[in-house]
Amino acid sequence: MIRSLASRAAALPLSGRIGLALVLFWLVIAVFGPLIAPYPVGRFVDEEVFSPATSQFWLGSDYLGRDVLSRLIWGARYTVLLALGAAVLAVFTGTSIALFAAIRGGVVDEVISRTMDTLISIPSKIFSLVLVAAFGSSLSLLMLIAAFTYIPGNYRIARALAVNLVGMDFVSVARARGEGAIHIAWREVLPNMIHPLMADMGLRFVFIVLLLSGLSFLGLGVQPPHADLGSLVRENISGLPQGASAILSPAIAIATLTVGANLFIDALKGKGDS
Amino acid sequence: MAVQGENRPAWIGLTRVVIQRVLSALLTLFLVSIVIFIAASLLPGDAAQEVLGQSATPQQVAALRHEMGLDQPAITRYVDWLVAMLSGDPGRSYIADMEVSDLIGERLRNSLTLAGVTALVSSVLALTIGIVSAINRGSKLDRTLNVVTLSLVAVPEFLIATIFVLIFSVKLVWLPSIAMVSPDASWGDMLRSMALPVLCLTFVVTAQMARLTRAAVADQLDRPYVEMARLKGVPFRRIILFHVLPNAAGPVLNAMALSLSYLMGGAIIIETIFSFPGLASLMVNAVTSRDMPLLQSCAMIFCTAYLVLILIADVVAILANPRLRS
Amino acid sequence: MTVEALPLSRRGFVSGLAGASMLAIGACSGGSGRRAPSTRGAIRVATQLSSTSDTLDPAKGATATDYTRHFMLYNGLTTIEDESLVATPSLALSIDSDDRRNWYFDLRRGIRFHDGSELTSEDVVFSLLRHKDPATGSKVATVAEQFEEVTADGKYGVRLRLTGPNADLLTVLSQSHFLIVQAGKADPDGTGTGPFRLSDFQPGVRTVVLRNAEYWIEGRPKLERVEVIGIPDEVSRVNALLSGDVHIINAISPHSTRRIEAEPSCAIMVSPSSLYSDLIMRQDELPTGNPHFVLAVKNLIDRPLINRAIYRNMSTIANDQPIAPFQKYFNAEIPQRMLDLDKARWHVRQGGLQGVRLPIYATAAANGSVDMASIIQEYGSQVGLNFAVNRVPADGYWSTHWMKHPMTFGDTNPRPTADLIFSLFYDSKADWNESAWKNERFDKLLVEARGATDEGLRAEMYGEMQQLVHDKCGLAIPVFISLIDGYDKRLKGLRPIPLGGLMGYRFAEHVWWED
Repeated sequence: MIRSLASRAAALPLSGRIGLALVLFWLVIAVFGPLIAPYPVGRFVDEEVFSPATSQFWLGSDYLGRDVLSRLIWGARYTVLLALGAAVLAVFTGTSIALFAAIRGGVVDEVISRTMDTLISIPSKIFSLVLVAAFGSSLSLLMLIAAFTYIPGNYRIARALAVNLVGMDFVSVARARGEGAIHIAWREVLPNMIHPLMADMGLRFVFIVLLLSGLSFLGLGVQPPHADLGSLVRENISGLPQGASAILSPAIAIATLTVGANLFIDALKGKGDS
Repeated sequence: MAVQGENRPAWIGLTRVVIQRVLSALLTLFLVSIVIFIAASLLPGDAAQEVLGQSATPQQVAALRHEMGLDQPAITRYVDWLVAMLSGDPGRSYIADMEVSDLIGERLRNSLTLAGVTALVSSVLALTIGIVSAINRGSKLDRTLNVVTLSLVAVPEFLIATIFVLIFSVKLVWLPSIAMVSPDASWGDMLRSMALPVLCLTFVVTAQMARLTRAAVADQLDRPYVEMARLKGVPFRRIILFHVLPNAAGPVLNAMALSLSYLMGGAIIIETIFSFPGLASLMVNAVTSRDMPLLQSCAMIFCTAYLVLILIADVVAILANPRLRS
Repeated sequence: MTVEALPLSRRGFVSGLAGASMLAIGACSGGSGRRAPSTRGAIRVATQLSSTSDTLDPAKGATATDYTRHFMLYNGLTTIEDESLVATPSLALSIDSDDRRNWYFDLRRGIRFHDGSELTSEDVVFSLLRHKDPATGSKVATVAEQFEEVTADGKYGVRLRLTGPNADLLTVLSQSHFLIVQAGKADPDGTGTGPFRLSDFQPGVRTVVLRNAEYWIEGRPKLERVEVIGIPDEVSRVNALLSGDVHIINAISPHSTRRIEAEPSCAIMVSPSSLYSDLIMRQDELPTGNPHFVLAVKNLIDRPLINRAIYRNMSTIANDQPIAPFQKYFNAEIPQRMLDLDKARWHVRQGGLQGVRLPIYATAAANGSVDMASIIQEYGSQVGLNFAVNRVPADGYWSTHWMKHPMTFGDTNPRPTADLIFSLFYDSKADWNESAWKNERFDKLLVEARGATDEGLRAEMYGEMQQLVHDKCGLAIPVFISLIDGYDKRLKGLRPIPLGGLMGYRFAEHVWWED
């Protein structure tokens, strides 16, 4: 299993391998990073603020004089795990509902589709604002909100794919064989739409990373003293004119994470097509 | 999008689609109003408390609640609002002591202008980038464009906006850092003050549209008919314009409609940074002040904008692609 | 309402900015003179908050934006014009009281509202009494409860009887909420006696006022036109000042001051104020009601760190009581409380508080509270108190969280007198007795000091009250937060008034433009 994965990775084009490396790097940081973080995340270690990188603080200090490297490591953990969890949840839920709607068709399809239209047409950041104001902002709620926001988008794509597939001959054949709805969804339809779905999940992942940073702009997000990558950019924004490391590092982290994820997924898609 | 009907003229099918869609749009709007009403009633506090703030005495809150009609049961308030809305009256703002339509008027114009200009700029840009990348698939140009668009998607928009302000307003003093448009400003003035918000929003939405355009066009280029046409000696430019693009129109337009609907309600961060008096910040304002009539009207507008865009995308896709008509 | 009879129209303003862009070329090569050309006395002000709840009614004013607007349009019976914080007569010509309970105001003659009608005692009586009507929704309804009777005495005389003596009445009346509006107008529309006339008002967007050429004070105002807009995002507000799009801004973060100082054409104005964000420990709940808990927390606050890290050394270290060192009656005898982990540990042990787990509710609505909570959490972990910072949205904070959990943050604006701050926030019966502490001695002193005519005695009483709050009240007050404004240096005449930013919100009447 591992060897086959490794050989598949080696077969990827260069861009795909770069993407994979970036994704793996951030995953490792997210899982093991806190073990190597030099300082506690909330400790005030520097008298100065926005100081540049030194041997003591590898990425300098932030707007309150905290160690940027330590905060970045923790921030990566929140961003990667929150966004990954939310993206998986959104795609799983959205696709399940889409399969159900596509296979049932008729009134069921119509009602579900209109409901999804309802949700998609409410601006997501404003909707999140309402939900956080109503329920507070815990990690699990943040993940649910992010997932919830992107279910309708995934639903639209998954349904379009599934409706096409349901109309195809092999599904009619399976129906004629008397297979149940679950078998058709799971065995006949889903395997044929897995690649575009993976690509969609990659995009959702990026969107969720950005949604989280957008929410941090509106003052919602991970509880302090912790912060996700977007909040790190936001809280240090006054260091931008001087090009402080405290703002550049998390911005670069977000960029490498999202670009890496997409390069990797693009490469997979290319392989799947050929 | 599957349109039934055998060999009847195209416009009958089209009209049926449009009628069907308008009816389901009304259903969607109704559902949105219910969702908004429920979501807003989950919020802590009400408009009376928010207006009076920290210093409210119970008597004041009671008096103001009565004046606003907040002492009525929730269902009654919703039905009253719905009945008024159906007769074309969006009601009166709880907070600003103005008609909702007056509050929204100028801001709707601002938001539509911002979205319209951005849509124009970004869709031209996105189509160009997408088509060029697709035609030159695998080339250096394609890969560069791919990484550039990806990186642009990956930068938080408040960071992009702040960087632009620092460069164009603070350093170079070319463009205003705030986009307060005034009704008596000329078109030139208006465009100038909207330049930075448009630029930022273009960055945000173009990348996404460009990537989807590339995917859709590339998908068509792989189809056998392209190869056939080439073998028959049809010029490549002709193949792209008359065969590939009409066929790719469906997914491309759909993606564009989704991105463009973002320009109305999703512009909240850009509106905040540039103090742009648009609808999204008005809606956030309505949320924080628990101003239900205003909140509902904003939601209705955003929902309508989305539905209209999707409808236009579908109709244009059907018109562009003769095969979808039958 | 949008009649623009002004020396510089909106269009002129924009083309002025266009001119700035041409100058920019010079800036790249030369350096100096890159700023926008003269505004000829028409300025733009950007404040922190602006929303659909913006109001023209002084009684309903809630934000710096509102106060600024109201001081441009209306006048009060009294006014405070400098850092001494002494209230002097304004619309009143003279004010008399023998017992500090019965007051007589003799109004100036011939003062006219913007619509030409004359100011009379009727307007004053109406303006004062409307605060007592719940339907008005006045922010100072509780303060106005002490107005027992207000009557007109002829066309220019007003008699006011209080429920008890109050030596600070004139200061109370100088606040923006008590500005005088026209009689009979339940919803004031901006027609006042003030230095500017309203030209355009759009809630949440802008306020434009023009110079009142018939203003009753000779030589004022000097500005021709003032436009007030809201830029809620602090970084954007600073950028707007630096790019010359606005000429004065308020509520600057201490972290941005260096940027403004680095720009030769701009400057900052720091107004020390008695604004504070306080950590509330509810006395009617446990473990916060345990006196050892309160003292443990008060001893683990690193005030110099808060001053340095959060406020860039621009705040004033506070001593867990609300009177700031630069205020009248400040008690300098109370020893300054500093970070003392050993003492905190001792209190934790004595109170049996080891391993206590408790959330601290912090919010952007209370200045600096999220970062302060982080600092307290960090030190708490070193003495065996496990705090968790629970940041909640500013939206709905005051109605949902403030004072409703054992540990929350409050945010108290500067009040002009010791009596006001003590009666609003520390009296055991006060609605905003944030920590629900009860101290009979304090309550007794509060009433006595209000009526005391001997200044020495009064100072002594206020001194003892500060000691009581410092020792026993469930509030930790780490620092007094200075208010920082930024302005274009061509705007002259600005000076700090500790009541609030923008010269206690009164700058428009006093400043002038000089190229």
